[in-house]
Order: sequence, then structure tokens, then C-alpha cells
Amino acid sequence: MALKYCGSCNPLINLSQIGHDLLTAIEKEDDLVFVSPESTDINTLVILCGCARACGNLIETRARAKRSIVVAGETIDMTPVAEINISGTLTEKLRKVK
Amino acid sequence: MGMMRGDEYRDSLRRLKPEIYYLAEKIASVADHPAFMPHVNAAALTYDMARAPEFEELLTTTSHLDGKKINFFTHIHHSTHDLIRKVKALRALGQHTASCFARCVGHDAMNAIFSITYDIDQKNGTDYHPRFINLLREVQAKDLFLSGAMTDAKGDRRLSPSQQPDPDQYVHVVEKKKDGIVVRGAKTHITGAVNAHGHLVMPTTAMKEADTDFAVCFYVPVDAPGVIHVFGRQTNDDRKCSGCLIDQGNAEFGIVGGEALLVFEDVFVPWEHVFMCGEHDFAFELVERFATAHRQNYGGCKAGLSDVLIGAIYGLNETQGTAGAAHIKDKIVEMVHLAETLYCCSIACSCQGYQLPAGNFIADPLLANVTKLNVTRNVYEIARLAQDMAGGMLATLPSEADWRDSVVGKYVDKYLKTSAEVPAETRMRLLRLIEGMTCGTALVESMHGAGSPQAQKIMIMRRANLEHKKRLARNLAKIGE
Repeated sequence: MALKYCGSCNPLINLSQIGHDLLTAIEKEDDLVFVSPESTDINTLVILCGCARACGNLIETRARAKRSIVVAGETIDMTPVAEINISGTLTEKLRKVK
Repeated sequence: MGMMRGDEYRDSLRRLKPEIYYLAEKIASVADHPAFMPHVNAAALTYDMARAPEFEELLTTTSHLDGKKINFFTHIHHSTHDLIRKVKALRALGQHTASCFARCVGHDAMNAIFSITYDIDQKNGTDYHPRFINLLREVQAKDLFLSGAMTDAKGDRRLSPSQQPDPDQYVHVVEKKKDGIVVRGAKTHITGAVNAHGHLVMPTTAMKEADTDFAVCFYVPVDAPGVIHVFGRQTNDDRKCSGCLIDQGNAEFGIVGGEALLVFEDVFVPWEHVFMCGEHDFAFELVERFATAHRQNYGGCKAGLSDVLIGAIYGLNETQGTAGAAHIKDKIVEMVHLAETLYCCSIACSCQGYQLPAGNFIADPLLANVTKLNVTRNVYEIARLAQDMAGGMLATLPSEADWRDSVVGKYVDKYLKTSAEVPAETRMRLLRLIEGMTCGTALVESMHGAGSPQAQKIMIMRRANLEHKKRLARNLAKIGE
């Protein structure tokens, strides 16, 4: 999997903390490997966006991976998720698709 | 070469030997002098944040010249998306510095000169544009930080450049040589001049034929012979050298950008770095394009700074137990409203941007000037509300040294405490941060940075399209039917 940030201009959620928590959780997973978002071999790309504008959710960005998960403020794939639960919910989603 | 890190930027400054004076002292290294370090730190963050994954999408882009990844502050805007991104990048940097990071000025100068050199070449068959492209390649490849120097000393304001008894009141050409020109004069309050790698120098006003020698635009390295920098004082700047970190409020990044008087004492500029020399009929257009690009910015960076200030004053009221009061909430909302209004303005003028003949994009000039004019008002009101809620302690807070003192420190600590769970130090730090952001130089920068209010009003009047408005009124009033 790979992680791509929107740009973090004025995030409504703590993107850096969520990204850090997610990477820490991924390191504990045997079958999940974190790669660069520039990689050509990405199974799942997590796009972390600070608000509903979701500037990082671009067609060309999503095209880098087989599938993508988009965090936009307190939502994951447009489903409301409280900020405190975002990294945990992402980890669960990644476990299911690995 | 390529994109630098902040520490590489600091090292690059140490390799230069610019002539800089502050308090009658010649400065050996701006990267290592306490008066300059906050400004160097703020500029360094434009390098470090560009390399952080969280900010990469905002602060890096692809060069239109060679397709390589570059720092956004060396980019020529090629879409309204680029213009919007600049505003968002400035807000992010404002949030993380609560200060001026200075790099946008040269960036805006680059975009203005890129377009005006193209226009001059199209009319006159000159080769300014390819010269500028060569410099731009170097700037992008080395990730250079250039200042943008526009405002002349101006002397007697009633007189045009060529009418001044002392022609040096406006930067001008004193000699043309086979291999370049010699310039003399000065530019005033130049942001980031002391910690830039070089200066882009532009005319400051409209010119007539008699002013031909003053219609000059060029680049000089910061340490070119004859380039002299006299660093300006800021409110409470002696605290930077006192060792009292809390009293500085924002010790890491300081307040505003660090401005200098920039003197050109018979400076030689090779032709390859000359981008206008006598084309007086293009001087005003260059001024307007630079001013538009720079005034576009202010709702971005000032919204970012306001985010910090709002956070500071809300946090202070929490420490004092007043955050729940209705009038505090109302004032906080008012601050947010004022800040987001500025942001709206910058986003709007970017969305309404358009393409110039050279291919690059410029923000809507009318809306960009409206943006900056609002900054001269809203930022003051935001600061007034912060001072209102901070209370008188903002102006009477004892020093960090007294708080640490073995005799009176216990009294300062005891009588600054509010609720039991909040240390007095927290209140002191928030008050000092608010003081730095609302008292003195920081506010004046909002008034006069990117031009004084009257400069915006002149531009607004020129773009107001009053004849169209009159026609609308006459039609509806059925006048002349």
C-alpha cells in the first residue's frame, strides 16, 4: 500500500498524526508493505485529504493503484468516521483487501 | 543540484559574502546571527515543507521548462489551478510559521518578469525573454530564493524620476557598457533581501520618455560588488539577542519577513541579467503585474497567520476560564469570519485569473487589489479583537527573566496563574505570541506590504469599469429614452 497526502493547506483533521498512526499500524502487519506513492506497483493507495474538497482525490492519482481509499476530513470513502477512528478504520480496510 | 533542504539553504547562505549592516555592525553570517535567524528559519521552512509528504502536493510542481520536479516558489503559473495552489501553499506556510517566509515576493517577480519580457520582445524584437528563461533555469535547478525589489526611495513625491534633484532617488542606469550596465539608487523595505540568494529589481511606477534611464529591470546576486543591505529594525527586536526565548513570542520564526534598505552603489549588471533597459512604456504594466501577483497572496498567508492568532487567543481564554463566555465566542467567530473573508478574496481572484501572451497566468487584477485592501483593514480588526480578549496583561506582562528570578520569580508565577491545572508559563507563552503578532511591525506590514492602501485604490479605480455601471443605472432609470 501507499500513502498520498492532498497537500495539507488547511486540514480539518490532523493529517500528519493519522498518517503516522497508519504507518505505525502497517509496520505490525505481516502481509502489508508500505511503498512510495510514486511506485508503479501499488495495490491500495490511501489518499489522505484534510477536508471534503479532497484535492488529493484526482483521477491520475487514483490511477497509480489497483484501488484507492479516500479520506476527506472525517469521512472514509464518503462514509462519516470520527477523526479518532480514522487510522484504525483504515487499517481494518487494508487488512480486508490484502 | 535540485530541490534544497532547509539546512542546505542555510549552508548556501554561509557560502555567500553579502554586505549587510545591522545596528552599525557588518554581519558575517545571516544564517548564524540571532537578529536574522528567525527570518532564515522561516525561509528554510519553504524548503523543508516542500520535501515533507504532507505538503508535497502544495509546495512542489513540475517545471514547464524541463519537466523536472521543482519547489513551487520557482514555478511559473500555467493555470488558475496553479494560482489557487499558491494561495493554499501560503496559508499552510502561514499556519506553520505565524510569520513571513519571504519567498513569495521573488516568486511573484519571476512571474511578472517572465510575462513582461515576452511582451517587450514581441514589440521591439529584443531578447529579454530568452535571457530571463536562462536565469529561470538556474533558479529552478539550484532552488534559489530571490527577493523582489520594487519600491524606490522616491525622494520628492511631487516629482517624476527624471525630475528629481537627486536622480539616485530612483534606481537608474548610469552607464551602458558593451558587456552590461551600471546602476545606482536604492530599493526600500525589501523583504527577505538579507537572506536571499539574489535580487530581482523592477521599476516602481509608470514612466515617461524622460524617465528612460529609470525603466530598468535586472537581476543581481546578493553579494555582487556595490550591493549594500541595511537591515531594518522591528518592534522588540532586541529581545532576539537577549536570550529570552519566551519574551520573543515566536522565537523560531519571528515577526514579518526581515526588511532591508537595498543600496546599489554603481553596481555592474551583465546584459544577460538585464530584462528591461529603457522600455519606459512597459514599466507600468510590469508594476501592475507584479502588484497583482503579490496582492493576490495576502488572503492566503494572512489567513494562515490568523489561524494561529485565533488559536492563541482561544487557548488563552481557555487558560483563563473565559472561553465559554458568550462575548468571547462572538469575538472568536468574528475573527474567523474576517480571516476567511480574506481567504475568499485570494481564492476568488485566483479562480478569475487568466492567461497572458507569454503563456503564464495572472490573477484577476481588480479582485487581487480588493484582496489586499481588505487585508489593510481586516488584519487590524482581527488584531484588535485579539487584544480585546487578551486583556491588559498583553502590555504589562513581566519578563521571562523576572519569572525565572530567584527573588521575584515566585510572585510572578503565583500571580500569573489562573486555574490550578494551567502553568503560568503557558499563559506567558500565549500572551507573548499574541503580542508579537498584533503589536507593532506585524500590523504595519499588513498595511503597507505589497503596496499601501492608496496604491490598491488607484488600481481599483482603473479597473472599476464605472462606465458600465453608469449604463446599467441609466438603462434601469429609463434615462434618455
